[in-house]
Amino acid sequence: MNGLRTHEKWLIFLVVTAVILAMSAGAEAKEWKKVRIATEGAYSPWNLTDASGKLTGYEIDLGNDLCRRMNVECEWIAQDWAGLFPGLNAGKFDLVMASVGVTEKRKEALSFSDFYAYQSSKFAVLKSSSLAKSVSDSNAIMDLENMNPESQKTLNELKKALSGKAIGVQTATNQYRFLETHFKDVVEIRNYKTAEQTDLDLVAGRIDALIVSTTYLKPLMATEKGKDLALIGPFFRGGPFPMGNSAAFRKDQDTELVQMFNAALDGAIKDGTVSKLSLKWFKYDVMENPKP
Amino acid sequence: MATFMTIAIATCAFFLGLILGSLGAASKLSRSPILRLAGQVYTTIFRGVPDLLIIYLFYFGSSGMIMYIAGAFGYTGYVEVNAFLTGMAAVGIISGAYSTEVFRGAVLVLPKGEIEAAKAIGMRPWLVFRRIMAPQILRLALPGLGNVWVSSLKETALISVTGLVEIMRQSTICAGSTKEPLLFYSIAAGLYLFLVSFSIRGFHWAEALTSRGFRRN
Repeated sequence: MNGLRTHEKWLIFLVVTAVILAMSAGAEAKEWKKVRIATEGAYSPWNLTDASGKLTGYEIDLGNDLCRRMNVECEWIAQDWAGLFPGLNAGKFDLVMASVGVTEKRKEALSFSDFYAYQSSKFAVLKSSSLAKSVSDSNAIMDLENMNPESQKTLNELKKALSGKAIGVQTATNQYRFLETHFKDVVEIRNYKTAEQTDLDLVAGRIDALIVSTTYLKPLMATEKGKDLALIGPFFRGGPFPMGNSAAFRKDQDTELVQMFNAALDGAIKDGTVSKLSLKWFKYDVMENPKP
Repeated sequence: MATFMTIAIATCAFFLGLILGSLGAASKLSRSPILRLAGQVYTTIFRGVPDLLIIYLFYFGSSGMIMYIAGAFGYTGYVEVNAFLTGMAAVGIISGAYSTEVFRGAVLVLPKGEIEAAKAIGMRPWLVFRRIMAPQILRLALPGLGNVWVSSLKETALISVTGLVEIMRQSTICAGSTKEPLLFYSIAAGLYLFLVSFSIRGFHWAEALTSRGFRRN
């Protein structure tokens, strides 16, 4: 070390100390007292901002309830969707509750809690249309991941019934990928920029049916705008569709926090809090209808 | 509120850009090759990298870096980086790179004879700058600076990714919460248009003020 100047020796000393300190700090488990939850605040009814600027919605109510159960203080941070996951990984918040659908691809980059809503998609038509009479509404779940002969038969019947019809779908969504895979050669697929435009055109008679997530459809059908809609066919799940929605965490880092969150969520599901909140915001039970 | 936030960021960033721009132009025009290289690197990087990427790097990168350094010293807590400051710095540094070129262009068209004349009558460099160069640079740079201002104003929309509530973020929130996207994005567009046209008037007025005594060709 003779060739080094004094300040260089100091630098080496500092770096070595810092490394030792960092290693010892990493060894002790972090105690969670305060949890920062990020959301978009612009995706009704999951999370939205009311006229007074306050965050509200299904995920906000649920998150606050879970924080009480975990005995931690929660801080909500509203972030643009594009900033949610970079911010999570940069440590700006500890978890994200923003209607994040769990897919295999996302599992490679994030850790997820248990589901707090199950996702499925369904075709909707006008109550007065012939399709509403010819295809019945069913509570069966068609799992596109594991197709059996029976579900294949149902799918073929549906194809036949919808053959030649115009079907509206929001562009670049899982529903669009589903139509592309299974219905491309028999129906006319019409792309829309938003889900609202799809249901406006269904009511206007420009399309015969639409396919969208039930978390969008059910609240809509409870309003004046959606009162003429009827559901047909089974619930679709698996394949291109995410199984459900969960809170997202940094990949494999805060395992205790994920465990705490899951334990609290389990309690909230068992005592009916989740169902209650779901009825309030979605007008149906996202944990029951349909269960996996 | 959101409109004020947009104006605040744009104004702070623009003035930061003016300072950086003058420094940048001074170093690009200086005799020292190191300063010239530094100026060159600055304008090349910040005019060459997409603005959104710079904002991402500043906002998410800076807190990651600070936490990494803090973590190395045994501090595992969270270090908050102010969204306003980082957003303002990002837009300011980008606008500084453009202002550099505007100022440099203005300096290059100054008539050499006037500066030589000023030196010949014994003015010191600072006096030459203050009396001969600065007033003319201001006049020549104003139209270009107007452009830089307008683009900074619109760049603030990109800061919405940091969660700072300016016009763009506010309209996303309103659009998603009310399911009336067209209405709220139209309002946002109108607001930007209003701010831009309003401030362009200001620049025209300033241009008229500084070019008194010059005939327009």
